[in-house]
Amino acid sequence: MNNEDALRAMWTSSQPATSEVLLATIDAVLDEDRAAREKDRLVRLAALTAMALLCPALLWFAAHGKTPLVRGGYALMALGASLMLFAEWMHRTWSRQALPGPADARSQLQKTALSLSRQASLFRTAALWCAPIFVGAALIGAWIYQERSHAGAYLLWASIGAGWLISAVTGRSKGKKLDTRQSKIEQLLSDLR
Amino acid sequence: MRIYEGPIRRLCAAYASGADGEDLFQDVFLAVWRALPAFRGDSSERTWLYRIAHNVALTWQTRDRRRRSRETALDDDVRAAGDMNLRNLALNQAIAAMSPGNRTLTLLWLEGLSGAEIEDVTGIKAATVAVRLSRIRKQLSPVEVTV
Repeated sequence: MNNEDALRAMWTSSQPATSEVLLATIDAVLDEDRAAREKDRLVRLAALTAMALLCPALLWFAAHGKTPLVRGGYALMALGASLMLFAEWMHRTWSRQALPGPADARSQLQKTALSLSRQASLFRTAALWCAPIFVGAALIGAWIYQERSHAGAYLLWASIGAGWLISAVTGRSKGKKLDTRQSKIEQLLSDLR
Repeated sequence: MRIYEGPIRRLCAAYASGADGEDLFQDVFLAVWRALPAFRGDSSERTWLYRIAHNVALTWQTRDRRRRSRETALDDDVRAAGDMNLRNLALNQAIAAMSPGNRTLTLLWLEGLSGAEIEDVTGIKAATVAVRLSRIRKQLSPVEVTV
């Protein structure tokens, strides 16, 4: 037996398999998979229910609002809600694409890097595609300012501003984390060349 | 899966140890479980499984998660192993010190895959694999001579 064969024999004889660990792992993985599928199903159901209730309501208000300002506000909010749903759908699709599969390592890493780059762009532009909801709500605030109370309008605008800021900061921070992961994958890819 | 438990456990131990290794093993198993319906026998069962396992291990280490460094884990290994085979430990340390690409090639080579099979798993041309493995074997020669 030459040195290389001896090295291989030493490696393959190390860390022997134990079936108890394997069975426990199989159980844990199947439980995790079942829980993930159930959670996924519930999230999808909740999102669809929310949209089924929210969008028709917003569109109804957009059609029957008291003034053009209110109608415009609700129309923008309906557009924003649809955009958010579309963004969520894209994010989930790219997340699934980024999951490791049976492709060769280089193709897999290239696919993952591309998916991460798309997800990062989506998060970085969160403030932009969330804008219709916030602008629509601000228009409703303008109507409240004109017709109802100044304090109520200020409160609504302050909430809108805080919400917009939070979405922008969170989006940038998540985008940055995804950028870091993508750059690690790019490094891996260059190492595999 | 039972046949390949040993190789996959060794792969996971080379990328992470202790609880992290268990997490990685579960991630690999989950990925295999999800990919199983798509397996049509276009490639051999072994290379198909190694592709998934190495893809999970490579992307696993890029994730933003709190975990101990591999170096710290190795120190723990030394303590936990007690009278563990020192040559085996030296080999593990040498593998842990490698770049991810070289580590992947080394693990596949140690598991007995041919150059063509390694190309199939990693996407690196067999000729390049041969050149890199030749360099890696030089790096591993201090471990080899003690075997």
